[in-house]
Amino acid sequence: MLQYDIVVVGAGGAGMSAALAASRDRHLRVAMLSKVYPTRSHTGAAQGGINAAMGFRDPTDSVEKHFRDTVKGSDFLADQDAVEFFTAGMPDIIRELDYYGVPFSRDEHGRVAQRPFGGASSPRTCYSADKTGHVILHTLFEQCLKNGVEFFEDWMLLSVVVSDGKLDGIVALDIRTGEIHPILARAVVIATGGFGRIYWTRTTNAFNMTGDGTAVCFEAGIPLKDPEFVQFHPTGLARTGILVSEACRGEGGYLLNKHGERFMARYAPEKMELGPRDLVSRAIETEIREGRGFGEGLQAHVLLDLRHLGREKILERLPQVRDLALTFEGVDVIEKPVGIRPSAHYTMGGIHVQDYRTCATPVEGVHAAGECSCISVHGANRLGGNSLAEVVFFGKYAGLGAQETARHRDFGNEKRVVAEAQRWARVFETMRKKTTGHNLFQIRDRMAETMWYNVGIFRTEKDMVKALHTLDELWEMYQDAYIGDSSVRYNQAFVHYVEVGNLLKLAKAVTLGAIARKESRGSHAREDYPHRNDGEFLKHTLVYKEGDRYRLDYLPVRITKYPPEERKY
Amino acid sequence: MRTITFRIQRYDGSRSWFQEYVIPYESGRTVLWALIKIREEQDPTLTFTAACRHAICGSCAVRVNGHSVLACKTSLDELLKVFQTDVLEVTPLSNFPVIRDLVVDWRPKTERLKTVKPWLIPTQAGSAATGFAQSPQEYRRIASPTDCIQCGICSSECEQLAENPRFLDPFILNRAYRFAVDSRDAAPEEHIRPALESDLWKCLHCYQCVTHCPKEIRLDQEIAYLRQQTIRMGETDNPGARHALAFHDDVRNTGRLDEVTLPIKTEGLLRTVTRRLPFAMRLIRTGKVNPLQRPRPVRGIEGIRKIYAHVKEKEGKRQ
Repeated sequence: MLQYDIVVVGAGGAGMSAALAASRDRHLRVAMLSKVYPTRSHTGAAQGGINAAMGFRDPTDSVEKHFRDTVKGSDFLADQDAVEFFTAGMPDIIRELDYYGVPFSRDEHGRVAQRPFGGASSPRTCYSADKTGHVILHTLFEQCLKNGVEFFEDWMLLSVVVSDGKLDGIVALDIRTGEIHPILARAVVIATGGFGRIYWTRTTNAFNMTGDGTAVCFEAGIPLKDPEFVQFHPTGLARTGILVSEACRGEGGYLLNKHGERFMARYAPEKMELGPRDLVSRAIETEIREGRGFGEGLQAHVLLDLRHLGREKILERLPQVRDLALTFEGVDVIEKPVGIRPSAHYTMGGIHVQDYRTCATPVEGVHAAGECSCISVHGANRLGGNSLAEVVFFGKYAGLGAQETARHRDFGNEKRVVAEAQRWARVFETMRKKTTGHNLFQIRDRMAETMWYNVGIFRTEKDMVKALHTLDELWEMYQDAYIGDSSVRYNQAFVHYVEVGNLLKLAKAVTLGAIARKESRGSHAREDYPHRNDGEFLKHTLVYKEGDRYRLDYLPVRITKYPPEERKY
Repeated sequence: MRTITFRIQRYDGSRSWFQEYVIPYESGRTVLWALIKIREEQDPTLTFTAACRHAICGSCAVRVNGHSVLACKTSLDELLKVFQTDVLEVTPLSNFPVIRDLVVDWRPKTERLKTVKPWLIPTQAGSAATGFAQSPQEYRRIASPTDCIQCGICSSECEQLAENPRFLDPFILNRAYRFAVDSRDAAPEEHIRPALESDLWKCLHCYQCVTHCPKEIRLDQEIAYLRQQTIRMGETDNPGARHALAFHDDVRNTGRLDEVTLPIKTEGLLRTVTRRLPFAMRLIRTGKVNPLQRPRPVRGIEGIRKIYAHVKEKEGKRQ
């Protein structure tokens, strides 16, 4: 039976940072599981940059300002002690990444270059052209290779086994062989990414962003924190939802409606296009709803105009943006504006982390970091450039936390882990042999459609209750789903079956949290409750799953320095 | 109604076959769109990998009509136009073990990647607590090689790799280059030497990797650089280096190649006599070479030598 001191699940920025930190202790055996080859992870898609108050570009910038911007951006739902810890530690993380070999763009003094980003009061986003996530992901991979981390690629997490509030082990599928393995571990770090795929078609996320670790922890009794907060990125390409980096706004791009107006003047007169993501997304949707956009229905969009930046600047600073627009929209942004519309981008909520210094969850032995988790440093809305920062920073602290846990914890109950693996083996067998049932893709697409229309950028109780019914109906259909592949070897249909199950559970938690939060805050915009209500809702949502029952609870927000004020840009 | 026929190579671990799928034509679509459509509407057993949809994760490389491409960014319209056909054949990448259908195994490649120490070996100028200073010019040298998304297209297209499993995949050579030219790296030789030991000089200059690379990385120039560095490292006692040096010397001395002495300089007298003699005799018989006629300097040789002097001076300044 496989047995490791620490198992890291997920090989994106958070997972690799965790594995790297944990593997520094040569006495600990560290394994890393990933559904995909490590460099395929979605961290690589982050384009614009990573926030740290280096003060290179603007000497008046400070950790304090980064702290304040993040709290304000979060619409005061972030835990301020965690944010302070995070923003204060970020400059060191950049220097460490530099030392690992990340190819950062540089200023004329040879220092890491920084650029302005939405919601930031100083230009503090460190970057490497528009491939920042990509180069950080590859560099962390290189360092993991150097440290001899054991990779299990094409392995999918199925269960976290817990008894009496303590970790026993995990169960995972080796996708290549079809074998289901019980794995014992003293500590695990869950770093499996977000669940933007609940909106399947209209998302910037990769196909595999199905929130596996989040759903598995949810099932194991760890609550989901603040699941209702989903960020919609303002600049998804019109036809496909593929992300165009925030750098295009950071570098000075204009947003135009069909009258050629820079409409952001109406919504954020000072910051204009550099307003935070939630505000810009709602501004674009409002323009479209009020008939000032182009096109109709799901084809509706506004324009992103970069022409005034000039050919040279576009080629130098935004080459990938140009390439994306060219490939997927057939538009050369040097010559023409490109159609864009918001696209589901990031899930602020996730696995409830209760100790930000170790990223420990309520279950002893289970740590979580990155988009799958909720610490919370993003609160109701994440600032651009803070997610790459979060994955590297908290990935590291989760790795160190797991190291500490592994040193003093023994292995858990082997029998329970084996029994859970056997249960999954029976599920796999049943699904492989099934010859009829509901089409899995149709279940998934209906979930996405209901989430986009009813639990999307603008929300009302009536719509969301409708979505809840649909989700319950889909869950019933899922029980009789048919995958159509009997193969043991590399059965992607079964993998997708597990993914869709995970998404359905998470979509329901998002909807429940959103219905109960009768206010508008950050990314959560209720048309029936258009204002923030600090009296009742300055608190974190916790959703528990107890068998088939979902239960809501709340947790106070930790406010240390900045009392809530109106959020204006 | 216009349709497109996909002939897809299937593999289930023991058996391999081609399967045909017909889908209605739509304009402005990609190869990945078609593969997904087939899987979701016709055959849920069709197996391939894809993730980001915008050419940054490197998951979805396949061969279409023999050419390796990223499925997500390859336009069907373009393929249909280039190949003048409505039938496309999709096969897995070459030079990889196949797991199932279009899914290939990266594990052996990761093991080979490790040989070039694909990580920064930091100089004393930096530390984990301070980072480094690096000029924008120095950054520019590593900007393009760090575009690599490790999609495997260069491996699939590599003609040398197909014949010689010792040869390192172009993306691995790229990784060696990326650290060798990084101003923060203290030990370029440690990245370059393993490449030399894995037949670096055997690259055929077929340019297939360069023309297919979705990130347009100039792997040819990188390989040329790595070779030059091995010569600077004093690694001149191998056929590749000797061949290059013979070219260099011949052109400087006479402005042209001496085809009689070139193989001797490259492979040594004994090897040339034992292995090239029949070929040489044929060349002599047909009048392609005349061993008695030694090449004399061409007209304008002074100009050529001036170029050599100029390059040497410039290189001196760079070092």
